Amino acid sequence: MSRLVVDRSAAASGLVIAAAAAAWWLGATRLALENGTDAARSASGALQALSLVRAIAVALTAPRLAALRGSLGGVAAAIGSIVPSWPIVALAWTASRESPLTVIGAEAALVAVGAALAGIGAVLRRVTGRSDVALGAATGVGVAAAAASWFALVGG
Amino acid sequence: MTDAATVGAVLRQALLGAAICGIAHAAAAAQLDLTLSAPWKGWSRPGRTTEIDLHLSADGATPASIEVAAGKLTLRTALDLQPGRVARLQIAVPAAERIEVRAAAPGAAAVQRDLGIAPSESPLLGVALADGEVVELAGFHALALAADDLPRHAPAYASIDALIVDATTLGRLDQRQLAALLTHAARCGRIVVVGAEAPVRRLLDGAGGCGDRALMVAGSPADARVLLERSLAEPLAAPIDAAGIGAPARPAPLLWNRVAMVLAAGLTAIALVVVLASSLPALLATSALATVAVAVWLHAIDPCSQLLVWSEGQAGARVARYQAWQRIQGVARTRVRVAVPPQLADSARPCDATLAMRLDVDPGAQRVSFAEFDTRLFGQARLCYAGSFPTGRAPEVRLRADGGLEVRNAGTSAWPPGRLLARGRAHDLPALSAGAQAVIAPGTGRPIDDDGARVAAARAAADAATALWALDLGGVAGAPAASRGWLAVSTALR
Repeated sequence: MSRLVVDRSAAASGLVIAAAAAAWWLGATRLALENGTDAARSASGALQALSLVRAIAVALTAPRLAALRGSLGGVAAAIGSIVPSWPIVALAWTASRESPLTVIGAEAALVAVGAALAGIGAVLRRVTGRSDVALGAATGVGVAAAAASWFALVGG
Repeated sequence: MTDAATVGAVLRQALLGAAICGIAHAAAAAQLDLTLSAPWKGWSRPGRTTEIDLHLSADGATPASIEVAAGKLTLRTALDLQPGRVARLQIAVPAAERIEVRAAAPGAAAVQRDLGIAPSESPLLGVALADGEVVELAGFHALALAADDLPRHAPAYASIDALIVDATTLGRLDQRQLAALLTHAARCGRIVVVGAEAPVRRLLDGAGGCGDRALMVAGSPADARVLLERSLAEPLAAPIDAAGIGAPARPAPLLWNRVAMVLAAGLTAIALVVVLASSLPALLATSALATVAVAVWLHAIDPCSQLLVWSEGQAGARVARYQAWQRIQGVARTRVRVAVPPQLADSARPCDATLAMRLDVDPGAQRVSFAEFDTRLFGQARLCYAGSFPTGRAPEVRLRADGGLEVRNAGTSAWPPGRLLARGRAHDLPALSAGAQAVIAPGTGRPIDDDGARVAAARAAADAATALWALDLGGVAGAPAASRGWLAVSTALR
């Protein structure tokens, strides 16, 4: 049963990301409607921002929690960071010109990356045998993954 | 051997029968014949509207479908063809350099024809004189036209910048061509009629917009050129665009408010699960449920639609010109089909030429009946309309010695309550029967602070007064509930 528990801090961070993205997207959309410009651009921007910020959040939390609690704990943390944004992803996609496959692919990639990083964290936990060393190594892996996400999604 | 011979004979008969059926079937399929032409000898100005004239016939009775593609706009209609009769159809289209027309019938080979429209960088002058004389005007490309070269849809007059037509050619126009010409005149189209006798002058009197300054009468083609040169030296009031309407043309925030509320509700439900239960299945289920609920809700609500009509005219003119915008705000990524009000349908076109849209044309009335396009949440699609309608409003406004205003209804019909805009102030205009007058006391005006009055004041001349009424759009079939319209009639302030 404890394996199906989501880390509250990871879920809270997922919720904060969702709320911040929602506020930004709604504000940008309202401005676009007032000015007669295309609201689809802000929707696409919100989708990209959500993918980036959640990728960074997953990179920073999944390997660390996996190093402490095992791979399932890391995966649960990753999912906790990802799923609270789904309603806003659905709304922003409806307002954008993005293809559905792009959005579904991005969600699947986030989950896959989260699972992979959780696996790495769990391996570090087994290999090092010491939780403080594993945590430090997992943090390093998470920061590197976050940087890689940034460069992959934003560019140099 | 005998059995083989019998089988062979049966097979040969079967093949022969099939061949005969095939030939008979091929003979029964209709052959389509399609020809195209365009008004103005195939010329237009870039980005404007023209018209195509379709002649379609078949050698057998058959239903046929026609599809016209001009840029991002597709128009579709269906006809029942009878043998020996040519169906003729005129459709207003954007003046794309290449217009593709495809006609198809069941069992018949589809026919496709392309029509090229020549874009002119110079302004175009249409010269429709019965004797074929051409009038040259400096800076203009003159087109010698016959009666049949004039369009049957008023929006197609946008292809040219000025027209000289004589009474003989006017007499050769059919009813639809004449109606289109008069609508263009009411919309301040520059037209000079040469050699008009008294009956024609009576027909034209008061039919021109912009205070009748755009519709002129000349005795000869040389006089027509002089009148046109003088008219071109004075700019005419351009039709208002959506930006000129201001706030009413912007989408109401109702949909945005609803989306914000729904999003807040979804995030609140997820927050409660995070706070009260740290269960991953519960978090997954809540997020998934909130997402599905949002998607279902978007598909359950109808797109928001609004019709705005701005009409304006001069006091005493028989007609007022109007611009109208029908805005449809999408709520989901889906294809939307919108009915076009029949009273406005003759000039229906997408306001944004980059929006892919399909218009269904009623072949009997030869006007647009439906518009179809893809939408998304908060996506704005607008249909533009323009035309004229008869009005007999004739306010006369005189400045009194005490600073008040004396208003008289010099028209032949009563008018409802409205507002009078004069000297930067808005006054209540009472309902007045024909011939009645009213006095507006000095100091009773208010600042101009509502949308319609602001627009009317911005478009009025400095020494003019404007009477403004709300338009009753109840007569426009299918007008959305949130529709608004105004009629602004200008008069000199004496």
